[in-house]
Amino acid sequence: MADETVFDFLHSELVNYVIEQSELKNKDAKDEDLSNLEYLGFSTGYRMIERLTKEMPRFKDELDTMKFICTDFWTAIYRKQIDNLRTNHQGVYVLQDNGFRFLNNISNGKQYLELAPRYVTFTCGVVRGGLANLGINSLVTAEVQSMPSCKFHIQVQRS
Amino acid sequence: MSRSSSRIDTKKVNSELVTLTYGALVAQMIKDLDNADDVSKQLERLGYNMGIRIVEDFLSKTGSGRCLDLKDTADKVQMAFKMYLGVQPNVANWSAAGDEFSFILDSNPLTELVELPDDLKNLKYCNIICGVLRGALEMVHLDVQSWIVQDQLKGDSNTEIRLKFIRRLEDSIPAGED
Amino acid sequence: MTIHNIYIFDHKGGLLYYHEWNRIKQSGMTSEEEAKLMYGMLFSIKSFVNKISPIDTKEGFLYYKTSKYTLHFMETPSRIKFVLNTDNNAQDMRELLQQIYSQVFVEYVVKNPLSKLSEPIQSELFKTKLDAFVKQSPSFLAKPL
Repeated sequence: MADETVFDFLHSELVNYVIEQSELKNKDAKDEDLSNLEYLGFSTGYRMIERLTKEMPRFKDELDTMKFICTDFWTAIYRKQIDNLRTNHQGVYVLQDNGFRFLNNISNGKQYLELAPRYVTFTCGVVRGGLANLGINSLVTAEVQSMPSCKFHIQVQRS
Repeated sequence: MSRSSSRIDTKKVNSELVTLTYGALVAQMIKDLDNADDVSKQLERLGYNMGIRIVEDFLSKTGSGRCLDLKDTADKVQMAFKMYLGVQPNVANWSAAGDEFSFILDSNPLTELVELPDDLKNLKYCNIICGVLRGALEMVHLDVQSWIVQDQLKGDSNTEIRLKFIRRLEDSIPAGED
Repeated sequence: MTIHNIYIFDHKGGLLYYHEWNRIKQSGMTSEEEAKLMYGMLFSIKSFVNKISPIDTKEGFLYYKTSKYTLHFMETPSRIKFVLNTDNNAQDMRELLQQIYSQVFVEYVVKNPLSKLSEPIQSELFKTKLDAFVKQSPSFLAKPL
């Protein structure tokens, strides 16, 4: 087996690389451009879920899919389940992780809060990619108020 | 809920996760840098940054002491391959002077699920491993060079990573004395 | 038993972290000066110990003891140095030092992507964890005897 920490270190370097590139391209930009990080997450999530669900029966409905994301999928990647899932039953889902893997070793509170987006953006992409592969188009954003807790907002795009 | 977590083999998932994430990163770099040599260099550098941290994790988990000689180093790195990549390479092809040897991997998790298009044939896809080795060993006093000799992505039957010992790094002398 | 203070040096001899719990007497130097002297002393004592050793040493310098306190030293193969000053009742601190390395330093510095490995440690999380870790150790007592 491969040690889990490799993924943590690889993820950190992904973040560093994307930020470096965005600084090279956009020296004057005020905000960091993390869109490539989101995209990296998207491709990873898209292919990952395919491998995870290969031998599983189809999901009943959207909520069933979300439950899978919160439990099996989250455990597979983030070593624990989502702590809380809320929905307005109109396509908005909020997934709360009280000890998010990529924030656990960074801070226990507000220190470095302004840099938190760097460490949650990849995962927004992972979720969006995973859902996309299961036929659900969505927008995923993350909200961090106090580390290591993080809320992922999923907005299903119905066309 | 009928979907039990036991259906997912987390160890396998973790290894695939690394493979897929790494693949996505390389693809992104190819887009950004547009030149196989630059991508290879960048991958090595990224590996170096990982290596200087992984080595601390390795040392703290194994409680391993200083390397006695290069043979000892080879054994420890072999163990680290097993821990972090899930495969155990053979240590082989020692040079006559005993300052160079190879790690030979029958299977390489990084390149599973990967195929290189023809126009990227000189991309050193696994250069990250060379970087990790350089970074990790630098932290334990060893200045080394590392490069890929055989590559399964290029049709070789295994992956061979060469390591050459350059010199031993000394302790930093306290400021103000020389 | 008491733990007085801790110094952590990086592989180049830079002070990564200092913290004190029960330090009654200060050295009267700035913390930079003190850290420089401490590193210089460790450097010399280490090389002296190895040079003068009548047999092959594996571990080298481990601690020194005065009538009032003991300085415990641990260096990782990556040359990160941990120094713990305790009173003389504190026995073998190697295990504690090893744990500080693996359970606090590696977890909250090495695995914190925002901590540079050769800059003074700023992370509040690290500080909190180290403080809690040292305080729950049997060698720690809030007030010296």
